[in-house]
Amino acid sequence: MIEKIGALWPEIILFAAACIVMVVGLSPTAAVRRLCAPLAGAALIVAGIVAWFTTPAAHGPLPMLPLFGKTLVAGVGVLLALLLAGTPDREYESAIARGATGYDPIRANRAEFWAFFLFSLTGAMLCAGADDLIWLFLALELTSLPTYIMVAVSTGRNRSMEAAVKYFFLGALGAAVFLYGFTLLYGGTGTTRLFAPAGEPSIASILAAQAAGPGINAVAMTGLVLSFLGVCFKIAAVPMHFYTPDVYQGASSAVAGFLAFVPKAAGFFTILILAGAAGWWGSSPVDAGGSLPQPLHQIVLIVAILTMSVGNALAVVQSSAKRMLAYSSIAHSGYMLVGVVAGPGPANAPYTSNGVAAVLFYLLSYGVMNLGAFAVLASLERRRADGSADEADDVNDLKGLCATRPLLGWTLVLSVVGLLGLPPLLGFWAKLPLFTSAISSNEIGLVIVLGLNSAVAAYYYLRLASVALLESPELTNDTVRSSPFPARAVAGLASAVGIVLLAAWPLNQWAMQGGRYQRVEPLKAAEGTPPARVDAGAPAAR
Amino acid sequence: MIGGTLVTLLAQGPIPADMGGVTLAHYLVVSAVMFVLGLVGFMVRRNLIIMFLCTELMFQAAGIALIAFSRFHMNHTGQTFVIFVLTVAAAEAAMALALVVLLFRRKETLDGAAWRELKG
Repeated sequence: MIEKIGALWPEIILFAAACIVMVVGLSPTAAVRRLCAPLAGAALIVAGIVAWFTTPAAHGPLPMLPLFGKTLVAGVGVLLALLLAGTPDREYESAIARGATGYDPIRANRAEFWAFFLFSLTGAMLCAGADDLIWLFLALELTSLPTYIMVAVSTGRNRSMEAAVKYFFLGALGAAVFLYGFTLLYGGTGTTRLFAPAGEPSIASILAAQAAGPGINAVAMTGLVLSFLGVCFKIAAVPMHFYTPDVYQGASSAVAGFLAFVPKAAGFFTILILAGAAGWWGSSPVDAGGSLPQPLHQIVLIVAILTMSVGNALAVVQSSAKRMLAYSSIAHSGYMLVGVVAGPGPANAPYTSNGVAAVLFYLLSYGVMNLGAFAVLASLERRRADGSADEADDVNDLKGLCATRPLLGWTLVLSVVGLLGLPPLLGFWAKLPLFTSAISSNEIGLVIVLGLNSAVAAYYYLRLASVALLESPELTNDTVRSSPFPARAVAGLASAVGIVLLAAWPLNQWAMQGGRYQRVEPLKAAEGTPPARVDAGAPAAR
Repeated sequence: MIGGTLVTLLAQGPIPADMGGVTLAHYLVVSAVMFVLGLVGFMVRRNLIIMFLCTELMFQAAGIALIAFSRFHMNHTGQTFVIFVLTVAAAEAAMALALVVLLFRRKETLDGAAWRELKG
């Protein structure tokens, strides 16, 4: 037990920081209350450094996943903190400035917003390090519950309420589905431990024993499939994707940027952990070609194909930039699922045929590139003739951005071209291993669908880029101007620099480490619960 | 000594004779029926509170299955899990009711269909 706490220092730091931020935000002095955002950022930097130095290798198939996941969440979290700085109440503050309303310290400085932000990141980190189903369930819920509130308080409009309630209800549905999946997984194996030292019973070793013997039993397999479908909500994959565009449009741009990364990262860590427990080695010894056990493999494959196709097809017809980015976020989940289908390849496989490493690197690049695009949207606001301000959302609001605001304009161009995956930029180096790993695991059909989808995606990404780069600014009564939060432009700039430079860094080596896969030895029947014990017709043991 | 008594107290003894006919399958069928009822209710109903109760029904369905499996495997892990599930369900209930009150204040209705500003 104690050694588990030793692996949790980054989460403990973030949790403590969240509590401190909540208290600091109640201070009667405005200068102290303004410390909330810097404190959150500092806590993330410290947690990232601590995670880098103290996270031990885990037991189980993906020993370095916790290290990679925690540092990734902390690193992108710092950028997200910059992006969110100033989010909570800008309409309220401008109303105060105009004298339209009185000053209310509880509303004016949303300390709880920053606390929820930190709680959510803590949950994502805990997901990366999970080695027990109960832990995984609590971590997933800790990631999502704060995000519902963040959506609700992100603007004062009815839109945000509607988005929050949709997000919450579908989130609860998703949670119920993966909880039922976890239940069946426990029923089929008799333990909630996902990974354990060699020789001890764990879900991974019991499933391995079942796969080597009679095949994974039906209860456990149903559990795996249901858990995967439930987690599809977190990553916005197809059966559970309906909420994505509405929620991203209803939330403020900055919060939408947060939603596009953090729950998705937590979801992919969960999927990798579950897939690692199921093992990429076929459902029987004959079928040891390195794929997931059979029904699960088929389902992930179908979900991947549907997710990228639906996401890209619907992104093409959008006129709202936020909805377009929401559908693109769905499509990117589909791309990453390709890596899950491909699996880690044979032992000591090179980076190019390790699908797990490809997923992890893609998650990093998607986090950086997506943040750039949302940072640009969050840095602009549209002021109507009657003086009311709203966030820039329509694609036309971006017309001629490179001419009027070169910094934001070029950030946008770099981000969308990066998301598209054009060669010298980060997006290309992220997408390439997805292709090569899928080819090396013989998923040729999947590679073709992935290629076609990347071509379709070019249409709407280039439309965004050309609107900003080639068209001249619109001259109407509505004016687009910068929002009064310089931190957001800094976040955008940081991500633009990242898109250009990160490709040159040996980050793929880091992802390769994170994606290192070792097979789980099957549990010997004498050592634990006999795996074939579950039979729905048998009387309860007495 | 007290620890030993506690263990005897918590140990899962034999099932009373008149319940001997109830098997794991019975519990799982009840749990599956509850889960499906919750799912169907969630899809069909539009009242926000009923929709929330349907998700609660699905959570509790998982709870029943967990306890049945826990008894079947003769370990306590499933029952421990249920306690955490109840905690999370309580947290979700607090949030759901807060959101519903927030929405009700704006539109004075509990009908989910009244909220359809976001589309496209």
